[in-house]
Amino acid sequence: MNKAKHNVPIPENLLITSTMVFFLIHSMQVGVGLLGFERYIAMAAGYDAWISILIAGLVIHLLLWMIYRILELSGGDLVSIHEFVFGKYIGSLMNMVFSLYFLLLSLTVLRTFIEVIQVWVFPQLNVWWYALAFLVMVYYFVEGGLRVITGMCLISVLLGLPLLLFKFFPIQLGQVDNLYPLIDHSLMDLLASAKTTTLSFLGFELLLMFYPFLKNQQESKKWAHFGAFYTTMIYLASALVAFVYYSEEQLQFVTWGTISMWKIVDFPFLQRFEYAGIALWAYVVLPNICIGLWAASRIPKRMFKKIKQRYVIWLYSLILLVASALLETRSMIDQLNTITSQIGFYVLLYIPFLFVMMLFMKKVMKRDEN
Amino acid sequence: MWKWKKDKGDEFPAQNETIRDIMKQLKQSKDFVTYPIDGETKCVLVYFKTMVEPKIINDRILPALKQNALHSLEEMKDIISVEGLTVTDDINDFRQRVMQGHVIVQMKENDKKFLTIPAVIAEKREVSIPEVEFSVVGPKEAFVESLDTNINLVRKRLTLPQLMVKELSIGKMTKTRVAILFVDGIANKENVNTVMQRLGDIEYDQINDSSYITQMIADNSNSPFPQLLDTERPDRVTGSLVEGKIAILVDGSPHALTCPTTVVEFFSASDDYFLPWHLASAFRVIRLFAVIFSVLSTPLYVAILTYHHEMIPQDLLATIVSSRADIPFPPILEVIVLELTIELLREAGARLPTKVGQTIGIVGGIVIGTAAVEAGLTSNVLLIIVALGALASFTTPVYQIGNTIRLVRFPFLIGAQLWGLVGVSMVMAFFIAHLIRLQSIGRPFFAPIYPLRFRDLKDAFIRLPFNKQSKRPIQTRPVDSNRFNQKRANEKRDVDE
Repeated sequence: MNKAKHNVPIPENLLITSTMVFFLIHSMQVGVGLLGFERYIAMAAGYDAWISILIAGLVIHLLLWMIYRILELSGGDLVSIHEFVFGKYIGSLMNMVFSLYFLLLSLTVLRTFIEVIQVWVFPQLNVWWYALAFLVMVYYFVEGGLRVITGMCLISVLLGLPLLLFKFFPIQLGQVDNLYPLIDHSLMDLLASAKTTTLSFLGFELLLMFYPFLKNQQESKKWAHFGAFYTTMIYLASALVAFVYYSEEQLQFVTWGTISMWKIVDFPFLQRFEYAGIALWAYVVLPNICIGLWAASRIPKRMFKKIKQRYVIWLYSLILLVASALLETRSMIDQLNTITSQIGFYVLLYIPFLFVMMLFMKKVMKRDEN
Repeated sequence: MWKWKKDKGDEFPAQNETIRDIMKQLKQSKDFVTYPIDGETKCVLVYFKTMVEPKIINDRILPALKQNALHSLEEMKDIISVEGLTVTDDINDFRQRVMQGHVIVQMKENDKKFLTIPAVIAEKREVSIPEVEFSVVGPKEAFVESLDTNINLVRKRLTLPQLMVKELSIGKMTKTRVAILFVDGIANKENVNTVMQRLGDIEYDQINDSSYITQMIADNSNSPFPQLLDTERPDRVTGSLVEGKIAILVDGSPHALTCPTTVVEFFSASDDYFLPWHLASAFRVIRLFAVIFSVLSTPLYVAILTYHHEMIPQDLLATIVSSRADIPFPPILEVIVLELTIELLREAGARLPTKVGQTIGIVGGIVIGTAAVEAGLTSNVLLIIVALGALASFTTPVYQIGNTIRLVRFPFLIGAQLWGLVGVSMVMAFFIAHLIRLQSIGRPFFAPIYPLRFRDLKDAFIRLPFNKQSKRPIQTRPVDSNRFNQKRANEKRDVDE
């Protein structure tokens, strides 16, 4: 009965096939986090942290299932869900919170990527100009709509595949003994470590925004779970390679584990692969920033009929530019990451809450009808 | 695409004229003939002597008029043995036909009613060997300037009643005939309608070549990438038609256009279908790598030598350093000077007659190149890279995309100079965004990469054998997508059967 009201009609030619959810979910989850997450997860659980990744992966699948249930019950997107569950005013407030949260995700990825470039390639990089160029490109993507962004997701996954091959170099030199003894940490340690992976796994909740764009929503479920599974596997593989290559004490001094491992790549015509790796990483972070900005700017468009999304993108891009230029020091960026991770963790907690609320509201509606 | 807005008001020339006005205007031209016949039959012949075939007048028209006593145009129509006669009183017809080379017969001068007799001189070039898209094996016919000959070249390869030919006349002044070819029952109706509508909306004074049409009906006319594929090979057009594509032929142009097309199609040559599939696939992959090399080699040289020389292993670095030791310029200047020299050579070669062009190539390529290295202005290594890059850009089978590749490397050079490899990858991302956004008459241009179509990949980067090509490409959204029954093609005979 409420379905018709909450449905968000999307023109046929803008829809994306259900297979593409795999790429959307996966490429949104993988971002700059992958370049240096090993140290953080090893802090709490040592080299048993790979179990934490599996635990986190399981939780993600559970949350993904909840998101799909919520979306199926409402038939709309985040904006209509909020309005349905919380009513107009609180719903609008929650929508704006989420809009800013998505923008924060974009900002974190953008600024951390620039930080990587500053640390590894150009210490004297002019952040203003570089961020401006980057955002112009992001604008060109986002202005093309979700279809174009999805294309970038696909290409980013395809281009990311060869990068995985370079894991082969550290494996050759690694010590598998590093992993033993297998389980010598308590469950609490493992869970604490799993919590630190939040930032790495964040991003799948954007499904709440692009769900109405899917052509075959029922079939997309399977692909969304595949996407999340693939992400988990990539994190697991990266963590295992890092654990095999670095000893536990050494890893505490390595901020960017993956980039440091690229340094040992050696061909007759090429060495110090990290320069090329970071350049190629632009393709991995691009979808993150684009989807984040797209979702953030779509919320106001959905809330107020009169607002054109293009102007919101301009405004938000400007915010991203100024904010990333103003965040100057390493400690500020570290703090940004911690805050985003914290907020992201609450967002993940919010999903089960929304799920329960949704079920409750549906029950109430049904009873009222009877 | 430009929005061509039709405004009926400013048609050229103005429509409200009488036959007398037109005659007065035409008589000012020296080659216009008014020839009164004064015998048993009294009438006036009116024509341009430069446009009509004298043989038809002398052998068919004049004897018929002089030997019989005819009193009306209808009688003449029955007697004169030329096909395509019409009796009409439409002023527009009069103006158009007389200009196209018809002989007009009137009972008396400036009469409203008239008979038109087609007597057009068939002045045309012989069908010759394709020069732009030459292939060693395969058919050796290329389109010529005459539309009817071109349609004939396609029709004789595709003797199908379903092959439709629609015709439009475009250009306010040139009134160029433009034909749209498609196979009914395969080609998607929506595609046909899009093409017809876009062609119909064109309002411009002249259409001198099919490349005018390409630019005018392109989905994004600001893109450096051609969004319609142009070819001079009738066999290629036939192949496209059978796949469900639409061909556009323009009178006066020896190049046909086919659409919808994709970016990978620009790298497929007719040869790919004449060779066994493994060879064809290998050559196609080489061509793709050549293009990537051609675009990226000099930007990477600039990026790595300017910012990331640590990436070059020590032994290789020694070679490069020794060749660059005496060069007074930074890599970017060195590259830009050499690239511009190559572009200069190419442009000069294209403008000059073949024989002189060869001399220019030798003078430019060998003399300037050697002298520049010996004078210490450029390094040997860069000269090799630039020359290879230029060579690689010539491997593109379609001429138009070659031009695009020539130009595309300059933004990459700017990116490389600004932010090294990061800059190169950013420019690349920008081009990927552009390609994803591009469309060819409403169909995605970057297919089958995005949207990912596994079925179309079998004839994209590689070409699988014909027995695997059982489906027509999804790109064209064909009405009937089966080429043949896949099941029967893959039945295998058991051992000793």
